[in-house]
Amino acid sequence: MSGPRHLVIGAGFVTAIVALGVSRGVLDRAVAVQAQGAVMAPRFEVDPMFPKPLPNNWVLGETIGLGIDSQDHIWIVHRSDRVNANEGAADQNPPTASCCRRAPPVLEFDPAGNLVGQWGGPGEGYEWPLSNHGIFVDHKDNVWIGGNDAKDAHVLKFTKSGKFLMQVGHQGKSGGSNDTENFGRVAKIIVDPKTNEAYIADGYGNKRVAVIDADTGRFKRYWGAYGNKPDDTNIGRYDPNAPPAQQFRTPVHCADLSLDGLLYVCDRPNDRIQVFRPDGTFVKEIFIAKKTLGDGSVWDIAFSKDPQQKYLYLADGKNEKVYIILRETMEILTSFGDGGRQPGQFFAVHSIATDSKGNIYTTETYEGRRLQKFVYKGIGPVTKKDQGTVWPTK
Amino acid sequence: MAGRDRIATQGRGAAQVPRFQVDPLWPKPLPNHWIFGSITGVAVDAQDHIWVVHRGVDSLNPRTEIGLASDPPSAESCCLPAPFVLEFDQTGAVVGHWGGPGHGYDWPQSPGGIAVDAKGNVWIAAAGPPDLAGGRATSTSEEPGGGAGGQAQGTGRGGRGATPRPQDAHVLKFSRTGAFLLQIGKAGRVEGSDSTTALNRPAAVEVDSAANEVYVADGLGNHRVVVLDSETGAYKRHWGAYGEKPTDAPTAPYDPNAPPSKQFGIVSAVRLAKDGLVYVCDRKNDRIQVFKKDGTFLKEGFVSKTTLGDGAVWDVAFSKDPQQRFLYVADGHDQKVWILVRDTLEVVGSVGAGGRWPGHFYGVGSIAIDSKGNIYTGETYEGKRLQKFVFKGLGPA
Repeated sequence: MSGPRHLVIGAGFVTAIVALGVSRGVLDRAVAVQAQGAVMAPRFEVDPMFPKPLPNNWVLGETIGLGIDSQDHIWIVHRSDRVNANEGAADQNPPTASCCRRAPPVLEFDPAGNLVGQWGGPGEGYEWPLSNHGIFVDHKDNVWIGGNDAKDAHVLKFTKSGKFLMQVGHQGKSGGSNDTENFGRVAKIIVDPKTNEAYIADGYGNKRVAVIDADTGRFKRYWGAYGNKPDDTNIGRYDPNAPPAQQFRTPVHCADLSLDGLLYVCDRPNDRIQVFRPDGTFVKEIFIAKKTLGDGSVWDIAFSKDPQQKYLYLADGKNEKVYIILRETMEILTSFGDGGRQPGQFFAVHSIATDSKGNIYTTETYEGRRLQKFVYKGIGPVTKKDQGTVWPTK
Repeated sequence: MAGRDRIATQGRGAAQVPRFQVDPLWPKPLPNHWIFGSITGVAVDAQDHIWVVHRGVDSLNPRTEIGLASDPPSAESCCLPAPFVLEFDQTGAVVGHWGGPGHGYDWPQSPGGIAVDAKGNVWIAAAGPPDLAGGRATSTSEEPGGGAGGQAQGTGRGGRGATPRPQDAHVLKFSRTGAFLLQIGKAGRVEGSDSTTALNRPAAVEVDSAANEVYVADGLGNHRVVVLDSETGAYKRHWGAYGEKPTDAPTAPYDPNAPPSKQFGIVSAVRLAKDGLVYVCDRKNDRIQVFKKDGTFLKEGFVSKTTLGDGAVWDVAFSKDPQQRFLYVADGHDQKVWILVRDTLEVVGSVGAGGRWPGHFYGVGSIAIDSKGNIYTGETYEGKRLQKFVFKGLGPA
């Protein structure tokens, strides 16, 4: 541990904070809230009937990207080419059953859960990813898509109706984490409306955040963990007992910008969020479920919809839950979700986003393969640190 | 207007068929961060409790799905394989659980169907690893190409690190609390479809409690129905397709345009109607054959006859009216439950579609019904769900 920068969050977090000598301010705030009787946090309930059933016997592959546009339409990208043969049986040649067919890769739902748009796949003038990963709708209503196949080294920009606009980087051309023309297996893209800059979580091959001009695609800056120059040397597996890695571990899985200008980066297998200023200055890091191995605990984040973005929602596809975090202190207030295939449960919850009403949407990869909606039910007292499956009260 | 039209339609004699609605919040979330593996059997007992058997750890991905089961755990809070056998009450709460290797019996490499007899004893077929002719590429890796296939689907490895167990060739009988009572057949000992002493990957069982007989869908290895004494396990009789002597000669892959096969393909289920008729699911041949209890062939009916691959007729249940007028056929390849008129074996409707949301299916291979006429389904493959469909009365097809 290298000092007070590291807040350890999780079960027994107060003890951990004391052990690490974190400033008294954090503790004082926690005590003050307790003294008022209860910790307050946003509450959610799954909507088990959202979205509406897909038309045309369509089914989803790994659902590995999620974005909400300015009209509260929900956009997902999934890997239609990875639908199992005995599930996409109607797409076989010859068809072996009446169901099912692979849905197109990009799907747009209205707030009621109706499918209102679909497109995607190879076309003229661009390289469709070999493995789709991440979708974002920017302030100009353009749709960004990344890819994490070993050859994917680019991002794509389309109109909402799927007309190709721009490709940055080229398949098979990645030159590593210090390449200023290509990426390395991009996980997620967001665009800052104030500066028209795109932040790229880069990615499954590279170990950096990259920033480009969202109109021209010109590289502007990039950095690695702690704001260091990224280094692609293999640093082996994550060890929760070792000092924190000085580089990101792949995949760098999200980079999301708050309204107050802080960039939250998901360093997934390192079980941590690193926070930066938009210029790459390191601010702090926070560990989440630090003993989590393998895929890691920090998959994707979204912000609450109040003007202050008081809360941060973190999807953990290994522990199968969404943490509700007080953004100011980065303290986990509570969590919801559990493993399973029923509504409100997860298998590899991968992506998370919020709409204008504060509702949370999630998508699942692996064999989860769902879009789910969790309805915002206002702020209330936290009664359980681990809420499990949040079903509607009948 | 709509109401008048509906009455007029009925007046013209439109078929009335059972209607169902999925209960998206049933069963209750499992305790202890348990998750289902691929479900291979569902049954309802005399108390309307719902019983499930699933493939457990052998069908769950060690790296991505059951992080709490590894040593050291790779996750902090989820998940663990649920015990192989689970008992739910009507509210959907787990009220019993057991299963796994023990003294005096061979726990299956991979379970098949489950049945609860009139005495409350629980029967489990040892079906062996699933037949995967339909092909699948289980998604175990978020990264393309890397790590896929890490799931030892179909190997029946019996838990990580265990030595492979002999091939399933038996059925097991337990008390409802999981005390071992009887094993018929022996793991690793198979003799073919005319054997009077051995089974070969039996897929499912049904008990005729009044006659003290157990009917075995035998199965994935053999090509027959075999009837045994449910107390002693003694052989009584067996038959193949059309009531003929079964053979194990290789047959051509199912072809919907060819004459019906004279032999069973995969005998995936056998069920007894109240009127004494025996319904046999010949899964890959897309057909149900109906017999008398003595094996006399009565008729056959095809369901979704163009279905190839895994086949359309996986399991069958009867409606709860005294006449059992309807059959419900689980079709894990078309992802539907077909509704048939039992008398004519005519398909009059269906429930379900493919997908991962409530009321959708992926590999719906088991079906059972409670005293109120509600349907319960179990999904294998990566469906891994127990679902309930509430009976909403009869309505126009």
